[in-house]
Amino acid sequence: MTRVTLANVSKTYGATTVLQGVNLQIDSGEFVVLVGPSGCGKTTLLRMMCGLEEITGGELRIGEEVVNHLPPAQRGIAMVFQSYALYPHMNVFDNMAFGLKLHGADKAERQRRIEKAARALHIEHLMERKPRELSGGQRQRVAIGRAIVREPRLFLFDEPLSNLDASLRVKTRVELARLHRDLGATMVYVTHDQVEAMTLGDKIVVMHEGCVQQAGAPLDLYQQPANRFVASFIGSPQINLLPAKITATSPVVQLELPFGQPARATVEATTKLLEGQAVEIGVRPEHLRLAAAGEPPPAEGIRLDAEVVLVEQLGESHLVHLRAYDHHELVVRGNAHTRLRAGDRVVAWAPAEALHVFITDGRACRRLFPEGVADTPQ
Amino acid sequence: MSAAPSSLMGQHQAPKRAPMTAAIAKPLRVGFVHLVLGGYTLLVLCPILLVIVNSFKSRKAIFDDPLALPTAASFSIVGYAKVLGNATVGGMFLNSAIVTGISMVLILLFGAMAAWALTEYRFRGNRLLALFLAFGIMVPIRLGSVSILQTMVALNLVNTLTALVLVYVAQGLPLAVMILSEFILQVPSELKDAARCDGIGEFEIFFRVVLPLLRPAVATVAVFTMVPIWNDLWFPLILAPGESTQTITLGVQQFIGQFATDWNAVLAALSLAVLPVLLLYGLMSRQLIRGITAGAVK
Amino acid sequence: MTTTQQQRASWPALVFLAPAVLIYTVFSAWPLADTLRLSLYATDEAGHAHFAGLSNFQTLLFDERWFASFGNALANNVEFFVIHSLVQNPIALLLAALLSLKGVRGATAYRTVLFLPTLLSVVVIGFSWQLILSPLWGVAEKLLGFVGLQDWFGPWLGTEETALPTLALISVWQFVGIPMMLIYAALIAIPEEIIEAATVEGASPWRIFWAIRLPLILPTLGLVNILTFVGNFNAFDLIYAIKGALAGPNYSTDLLGTLFYRTFFGYQSQVGSATMGAALATLMFLVILGGVGVYFLFIQRRLRRHAQ
Repeated sequence: MTRVTLANVSKTYGATTVLQGVNLQIDSGEFVVLVGPSGCGKTTLLRMMCGLEEITGGELRIGEEVVNHLPPAQRGIAMVFQSYALYPHMNVFDNMAFGLKLHGADKAERQRRIEKAARALHIEHLMERKPRELSGGQRQRVAIGRAIVREPRLFLFDEPLSNLDASLRVKTRVELARLHRDLGATMVYVTHDQVEAMTLGDKIVVMHEGCVQQAGAPLDLYQQPANRFVASFIGSPQINLLPAKITATSPVVQLELPFGQPARATVEATTKLLEGQAVEIGVRPEHLRLAAAGEPPPAEGIRLDAEVVLVEQLGESHLVHLRAYDHHELVVRGNAHTRLRAGDRVVAWAPAEALHVFITDGRACRRLFPEGVADTPQ
Repeated sequence: MSAAPSSLMGQHQAPKRAPMTAAIAKPLRVGFVHLVLGGYTLLVLCPILLVIVNSFKSRKAIFDDPLALPTAASFSIVGYAKVLGNATVGGMFLNSAIVTGISMVLILLFGAMAAWALTEYRFRGNRLLALFLAFGIMVPIRLGSVSILQTMVALNLVNTLTALVLVYVAQGLPLAVMILSEFILQVPSELKDAARCDGIGEFEIFFRVVLPLLRPAVATVAVFTMVPIWNDLWFPLILAPGESTQTITLGVQQFIGQFATDWNAVLAALSLAVLPVLLLYGLMSRQLIRGITAGAVK
Repeated sequence: MTTTQQQRASWPALVFLAPAVLIYTVFSAWPLADTLRLSLYATDEAGHAHFAGLSNFQTLLFDERWFASFGNALANNVEFFVIHSLVQNPIALLLAALLSLKGVRGATAYRTVLFLPTLLSVVVIGFSWQLILSPLWGVAEKLLGFVGLQDWFGPWLGTEETALPTLALISVWQFVGIPMMLIYAALIAIPEEIIEAATVEGASPWRIFWAIRLPLILPTLGLVNILTFVGNFNAFDLIYAIKGALAGPNYSTDLLGTLFYRTFFGYQSQVGSATMGAALATLMFLVILGGVGVYFLFIQRRLRRHAQ
């Protein structure tokens, strides 16, 4: 069982710094997902862990070994590429045997391992076929099988689902989770899709512009995002953000919205919060509720008069796009369907526990009741 | 996926060969690469440089020390004077330029038109026609020289540049059509459909929309057709050996045959024949090589 | 060559096709067919051609003198081709493989220079090498002296046994660029991720070359070989430039191309005969067709299947 440690890892190409100060601890058997927008450096980081890119600064340990200067073959890793990278001129069996042959496994051993992996992945019937005779999903299984038979101490995945169509993606996601559970292996997985990240990862690492924004369990990132970026990245539709001003910091944090409305947020009042300071309030679409104009809402954190601009009915849920005070656009998500129509005037509100507060540099204030909001049906 | 036993997770195994540490292997490898590439480059450049360098030396210096650079004492351009003084050189150069230039234009134009017709339109015998043309890539046109000469005699085209152009176009078309077809297939069909929806006629579509998009292919076609035409010895010898229609390649060959022992003149003639190609290549090499590596290997 | 949306043929299609098909048919396809026809005719002393069936071929293959010439030229051509296959194509493979490695400094410059000889006129090359190898000038001898091999030097171009191999090597020197480029293009077309996957699995660069790169470029290697074959059996220019149409010394450098030229045009004391020339051209055509046929029917299909 292998843990992986990255200590202050950085990467520069000439004068450009692509990754800086990455500190990460991956426990043995953990499924870690590196997620972030294009260009954030997640793939570069993965390739550095693999050995395909040089590590400019810092230290990478696999197990207890420092592996910065080891070639990929000696790190005990296996990688599944985005395009699967199967050898076109070999059949499935030979594809899976190639690496084993290089490591000196004898014929019987190779046979045993390949058969085992093939059974686990349901590809026994494909052994004689060439990659061009396989579907995308089948090719991906072969690529995974090729990694499994090597019995590596660390699995690396580079956006393996991005070339599959939507339905296959969901199905394969479930199977990957099951594979992880069965193998108990340490896995590092790169994706730009936050849904994949949330469902697969034991630990998610959100990256942006070469820096780790936050690393933690999926629910932690959802409930206690470390900064504005993470709050915006995790959760779909994106979190609603409104500018506001601190009016008081005790007993609870009180703020004033630009149009004069007061608001209350149950976040920790640190020394960073000063009266008069400009901050941002965040509230997720699924935590906003709608009441008819004129009705007083039950408990108040924030209360906005708004007009419905657009309603999107998705069947199992609906999205209401609002415009508050002619200026601020909000999205509210509710269950099932709604009778609201464009032009209706409503009141959007959320309890104080649901609010996030972000100070000017983007950092979040710690929420005192991260779980204190329940989704109630509209 | 069924529950596989966790025995699939084995111990970490290193590959079973003595791992050469990265520090030793890399410089050796790099050294080997440059030794081979550099060595062969030397082999390529030496003969050419030898000829050019020695063309600027006096006759005595050429023989005494062939490997030396021309010094103030041994510098001489008497060979060049003789070659350039020969009145027909300019004419021969012009002949080559005319034949090659016109052939190229016609090959590109007719080749593009044929490639367009073969890829864009459905008709009976389309594939057969394509095969008929492709046949010409593998089978050398020279084999039909007997009949070609007879045809030219019948058409009264012997010793004319026209004869050469016609033959070279016929020679270059098959490969040009193949290369251009590949390029045309990559033109997005939306462009053609949009043009048709706008009511533009087929001819206009070809000349205004498709033809300009074939520019990258020009370099590839040029290399594979222009160079063999310019350097060809066979057809000028057979069809147009007359003095007024000699190409530069044939001319240099005759010239060398004549002045076999006049080393200055010979070396100067060779250098003059090489320099225009070197210049053109120097200017165009990037496009040429990009063209070859991009499209030709299908 | 079918696109997903092909238009119905209309008269514009014919107009587009006409010039190319016309010129090609009149000056390339038909002459070839006519040559085949002409080979069945013989010319008498008066210069009139009359139908003679396969008598030309009988003469070529069974008349002692003719067969000696034909057999000699054919054997020389085979030797010419074998040398090219054994020398030109492996060198081209080596150069292309080295050029396609990542991070070779100056690779672009190397590529540019190495392709240069292909562009030069055969006359230039032929004569330059003739000068260099000339015992009179002594350049080659001196250069070999640098590596201590000057005793090995001899008048190679003028000696019967060595003339053809020397010419073949000069031809290799000239034409290495084309197979090099074709192989290079095929090598860089291999997706980088496949090479990376092999590296991660533990393959050394040497192993990657033999197990991954080489199998994937086999179709190109086959193509290169067949193009070499066709080019070699059509060769004429270099021999003519260096040795003239007589292809001496003592016909040791005579190829089918030079034999064809002499038969067709006549040379010195030999009178030219169009019909005999046509017969020879037909035989050359059959040889080339045979080689191409073997390649397409047997080799190419297997190479394609193996490499994908």
